[in-house]
Amino acid sequence: MERSKNSKNEPSELALPTLVFGTVEVHRLQRELEALEEFMQQAALRSKQQAKAQPELPRVSRLLDALASENQRNLLQAQDRKDLAAFLQRVADQAPTIHMSFATDPSAAFTAKIVSWLRANIHPLVMLQLGLQPSIAAGCIVRTPNRQFDLSLRHRFEAKREVLMNALDGQPLKGAKQ
Amino acid sequence: MTIWWLILILAFILAAGCAFIYVVLKLNKSSGLHTATLAESLQKSAEEDVDHIFNEEFREELRNRGRLHFEKILGENAMFLQQDLRLTTSQLNDYMKQEITKELKEAFANYESAIGDAKQLAVESIEKTKQAIDDQRQAMGMQLEREIAEEKVRRIKRFDAGMAEIINHYVLESIGNQIDLNDQLEYILAELEANKKAIIQDVVNGA
Repeated sequence: MERSKNSKNEPSELALPTLVFGTVEVHRLQRELEALEEFMQQAALRSKQQAKAQPELPRVSRLLDALASENQRNLLQAQDRKDLAAFLQRVADQAPTIHMSFATDPSAAFTAKIVSWLRANIHPLVMLQLGLQPSIAAGCIVRTPNRQFDLSLRHRFEAKREVLMNALDGQPLKGAKQ
Repeated sequence: MTIWWLILILAFILAAGCAFIYVVLKLNKSSGLHTATLAESLQKSAEEDVDHIFNEEFREELRNRGRLHFEKILGENAMFLQQDLRLTTSQLNDYMKQEITKELKEAFANYESAIGDAKQLAVESIEKTKQAIDDQRQAMGMQLEREIAEEKVRRIKRFDAGMAEIINHYVLESIGNQIDLNDQLEYILAELEANKKAIIQDVVNGA
């Protein structure tokens, strides 16, 4: 857990792990971090009274552990916890949310890949909200704050209706092998 | 019958008496007054002989003769009447037959004419009805064909309009459960990449 201060990112350069992709996880991390902060303060008071060394880190969730490790932060350090709390608050306040609907429930690995792509290409703090829409068959529907992008197979069929009609009429398809 | 006989006999007696009186009077006129005494005596003797001549037997004989004659006349008249009656009956039968036949023929002719007229009317009515039915059938057929054509065009249009939805539904029903999201990842990322600029713009502006 402990890393050198030189390798640490600046608070503004902190990144969210792919496991944390929704506002629910962010709020959960905030609550967990607050609880950890209280625990550490109480532990610090107890250690002063009993003249003990620095208290041990209690068991934390996988999300918080991933957040700390990916950002080279030590949860035993008050400043690091403060940085992470500030970062999470900034994420909760400012991070844009993208809603994506799929035909079936996506697996965790699939979600992680999508979130990675979104944070790499769209916005580093983007939050993902998942939805289920079985009628789209394949693909997805993406809703940004002001727009909707229908990337489903249904929309693709509608866009390529002329090709479909030509095929039904018996006309040769463009690019099809004779 | 007895009354008639009696009347006949009395008439006969009366006639005979009148004839006798007439003869006597004639004789008296021719003989003159000088024979008055003779005449009176003859008159007296004649009156006396009347009772002798027209006695009961003679009267009975006259009655029998009159009765027989009357019966003969009656029989002859009855025979003639019977013959006339038979002849009349026969003629009446013939006449009735002719009249009945004539009436029946006229009635049958009238009936036949009426039946013919009714038949003609019925045939004309049937023809008209048949024509009307044919016209109606033709009109309905044309209307049905037109509506079928319109419905066909409408359905084709609807089919064309909903083609994408139909294909999508077909794909969903056919292989919907077999489409894995992991297999779609490449397609989804490609589509996201294609719309990346618009998404970034909206996210930045929206944020």
